[in-house]
Amino acid sequence: MELYTGVIHPLVLVVSALLALTGIATLLWAPAHRALKVLVPVTYAAVAVHTVAVAALLFTGLDADLILTLGYVIASVALLALLGIGRLGTPEAASADPDPNRPVLTQVQITRVDGAAAVIVAVALAVVAWRVLVILVGAA
Amino acid sequence: MNPVARIALVVAYAVLALAALGRSSYQISTKLSEAPVPYLVSGVSALLYLAIAVALWRRWAGVALVGTALELLGVLVVGTLGYVESSWWPDETVWTGYGSAYGWAPLLLPAIALALLLRERRARRDDAGVTPAQEGTA
Repeated sequence: MELYTGVIHPLVLVVSALLALTGIATLLWAPAHRALKVLVPVTYAAVAVHTVAVAALLFTGLDADLILTLGYVIASVALLALLGIGRLGTPEAASADPDPNRPVLTQVQITRVDGAAAVIVAVALAVVAWRVLVILVGAA
Repeated sequence: MNPVARIALVVAYAVLALAALGRSSYQISTKLSEAPVPYLVSGVSALLYLAIAVALWRRWAGVALVGTALELLGVLVVGTLGYVESSWWPDETVWTGYGSAYGWAPLLLPAIALALLLRERRARRDDAGVTPAQEGTA
C-alpha cells in the first residue's frame, strides 16, 4: 500500500499534469505536438503500472469495493483510446470511411485536436486516480 | 462548426458518458431500490451523453441540438430541484448541484455545444439565403 500511495499514485498525477501541460502547449504552439507524441506512450505505461498495482492490492487481500475499483481502473484504460484522436481525421483515415460527414483535418487541426484531447484525458485520469486512492485508503 | 471544436466536444462528451455510464450502471445494478430516481436520472444522463457524442461525430445536427438542449434542461431542473426539494434526492445524480461533482462540466458543456450548434445552423441558413421568416412561410 505504501508503494501505491507513495510512488504509483503520485506517478499517475505527475504524468497527468505533464500531459495536460503538453496538451495546452500543443494548442498554443503546434511544434509541441512532437512532445505530446512522446508523452502518449508514457501515459500508457503509467496507466498500465497503476492498473497492475491496483489489481495486485485488490487480489492480495485489500477489502475494497471490487466492482467500483475495477470500474474506475477500466475507465482509466478506456480513456487512453481518446489520446491522439486527431489520427481519425487524417485524409487517409477519412477516405476509408463512407460517411461523408466524417471530419477531415489539416495537420494543424490534428495537432490542436490532439492537444485538446490530451487536456481532457489528463484531467479525467487525475480524477479517476484520486477516486481510486480514496477507495483504497478507505479500505486499508 | 470548427472541426477542432467539434472533436473536442466529442471527446468531452465521451469522457462524461464513460463517467456517467460507470457510475449509473454500478448504482443501478447494486442499489437501485435505495434511490431509484437519482440513479435512473444518472442512467438517462449517461445515455444522453453517449447519444450527443455520436451525433456530434456523425454530424447529426438535429439530434445533437435536441440532445444538448435536453441535457441543459436536465441539469438546470435537477440542479434546482436538488436545492428546492432535497428530500426527493436521497443520493446524488450526475446533474446534482448543476454538475458540481464533475467540475460543472455537465452545465458548461451543453451551453458551449448549444451555442456552437446554433451558430452553425444560423450560418447554414445564411449560406442557403433563407431567412427564418421565409422558412416559416415556406
